[in-house]
Amino acid sequence: MFDELSDYRKKIREFALREFTEETSERYDRNEEFPFEIAKKSLSLGMVDMENPAKILIAIEEMCRVDAGLGISATLPYFGGEVLFLFGNDKQKKILNDVYHGKVMLSLGITEPSGGSDVAGLKTFAKKSGNKYILNGSKMFISNGAIADYMVVLARTSEEEKRHHGLSTFLVNTKSRGFKATKLENKLGVRATNTAEIEFNDVELSEDDLIGEEGKGFYYIMTFFNISRIYVAGQALGISEGAFDKIKGYVKTNNITDEATMFEVADVSTRIEAARQLTYNAASYLFKYDPKPELTSMAKAYAGETAVYSSEKAMEITGKSPDESIQRIFRNAKIMEIWEGTSEVEKLVISRQILKGD
Amino acid sequence: MEDEYELLRDTVKEFSEKNLDEKRIETGGIVENIIQNIASQGFLGAKIPSKFGGSELDEKSYNIILREISKYSPSVAMKIFILNSLYYPLVKNTEMESTLSDASSGKMNVSVDFLNKNKIEGEKFNGTLNDILNADSNNIIVFGKGPSLVNGGTVMEKDFMGFRGLKFGDIKIESELQHINTKVTLNDILEDSYNAISSINLGLISGALDKAMEYSTIRKAFDSPLSSYEPVAFNLSRMVSQKNILETILNNNIDSYYALNFSMNILVETTRYALNVHGGYGYFGDFGVEKFYRDAMVMRSIFYGNSDLKKLSGHVYGNKVGFI
Repeated sequence: MFDELSDYRKKIREFALREFTEETSERYDRNEEFPFEIAKKSLSLGMVDMENPAKILIAIEEMCRVDAGLGISATLPYFGGEVLFLFGNDKQKKILNDVYHGKVMLSLGITEPSGGSDVAGLKTFAKKSGNKYILNGSKMFISNGAIADYMVVLARTSEEEKRHHGLSTFLVNTKSRGFKATKLENKLGVRATNTAEIEFNDVELSEDDLIGEEGKGFYYIMTFFNISRIYVAGQALGISEGAFDKIKGYVKTNNITDEATMFEVADVSTRIEAARQLTYNAASYLFKYDPKPELTSMAKAYAGETAVYSSEKAMEITGKSPDESIQRIFRNAKIMEIWEGTSEVEKLVISRQILKGD
Repeated sequence: MEDEYELLRDTVKEFSEKNLDEKRIETGGIVENIIQNIASQGFLGAKIPSKFGGSELDEKSYNIILREISKYSPSVAMKIFILNSLYYPLVKNTEMESTLSDASSGKMNVSVDFLNKNKIEGEKFNGTLNDILNADSNNIIVFGKGPSLVNGGTVMEKDFMGFRGLKFGDIKIESELQHINTKVTLNDILEDSYNAISSINLGLISGALDKAMEYSTIRKAFDSPLSSYEPVAFNLSRMVSQKNILETILNNNIDSYYALNFSMNILVETTRYALNVHGGYGYFGDFGVEKFYRDAMVMRSIFYGNSDLKKLSGHVYGNKVGFI
């Protein structure tokens, strides 16, 4: 599946190398500024082919290989679009075309200030009032939060005995009265991406804004995670490869041949290859509409840890030559173990799925 | 630990809690007021002889100062380290020794090209020094055939993820070279600094763990504190036990080679895990934990490498090994 797309991969890599220059990457990182033009360009030129998920994964990987801050920003405008694509009504799906062409920006609001991993414990409430819903609550660490036109929001619609039964998803227009986004700053890495805290104060939603069926939100979001975690694995794989590019460049340029360094090179490349195989294998099931949650979580957790490992090794091996681009890779990598499910959450998914199978 | 050292530790801790806000220091630098404070407390010139206005403290006291300060402000600890562990031994017993008075009182800022990125020879230097930490210094020691002192110049700052309270970058310099008549080499001072480096590492580890331990008892996930989950409790407990072992090695001056290698082996993992415990919040500067991870990675990168492993191997085997 992925070997057949080598020309597409090459095209994306050339685009990323041309657009994500060191000077550009540095500037957006320092200013914590979202690269609107780059994101728009990558979509409007059809660089990210939304019709083919394998192409999306390759685009994410290759762009993050050059710079994760810009790469993630350029591939994030459709964040949450999968929920609309799979479960939305016709009217909701209509905006996807504009999303795919960079005209409309999406966002996804799940995490809350009181908890990220415990999705079913969320407190944001959409109370039914006649033929409307009134949304109140807050969300935390929301990617694209302060710049999105629409946000897919997971909210509680009823108090059920099983907490995850009372959740529903909504498509919220961010221009609605009562919607407030506050940009969060001073992140360790991926600083070109936009992250925000969101408040909903009596935001009025119509029944048409409900995505799919009421009470099915938890299921929709878990389905979404099966997809998004593959894309995060792709981000992490790209970061790992970018770190390894730096290691190779440094070792070759400085003609380093000592055994200790050679063993480090071997270890990093072996882990990256393992992460690649895991990611592509999990993706191949997902893209055939047969997702394997344990494989998805293995890929996400392992690729995330590999990104951190590779970036730390890049720092160690290049040692006394503190290159800004390598430091940026190091700072970017850590989020891979946190967002879309921490490594701890992924390990819970893996062990539960594996034991359930017997 | 003996009473006098415990007293010193408590004094430094109290001072640091009150005066050193690393978040502010990272954005605004180590301002004059802080420099005067650490100088008047005797921390800035901790090892410098009293005839030059220093505190002339023993190694153990010096290491306690570094450790306690780096829990709160790694940048300030690094500034003290550069003066006492790098600059001082190079000018000691030379005609440049008199510069120590102004350095220990905070009137003069000093640095050393310890990354050894510049080979400077001759009588004059007119050019650019690359990659200097504490770059806005009046006096900088550079290395050619031997160490020389040059005056500071115009700093072209670069982004450096560690010790952000100190300026880092290239410096345009036009200066005479004052050759320092010493047999002490950069290699010597770095090897002699193993316990000081390990003490900064211990401070970073302790600062990060203090935050993670506290957060793990406050923060709830799935209605229970994080510390009630085995992976969190086991990992943090293991890391605290490792921190205590390192503290014991340093307090008893058991072996500086072991101290360096052990501290470097647990440093990045511990600070990374402390960030992890904080989840998404840990990724933001406001929680004051990600800085330990950044500083730890910088310490690991610039003060530890194959040459240190060769020294450790030579120390363990008692002769030269690992040379092919």
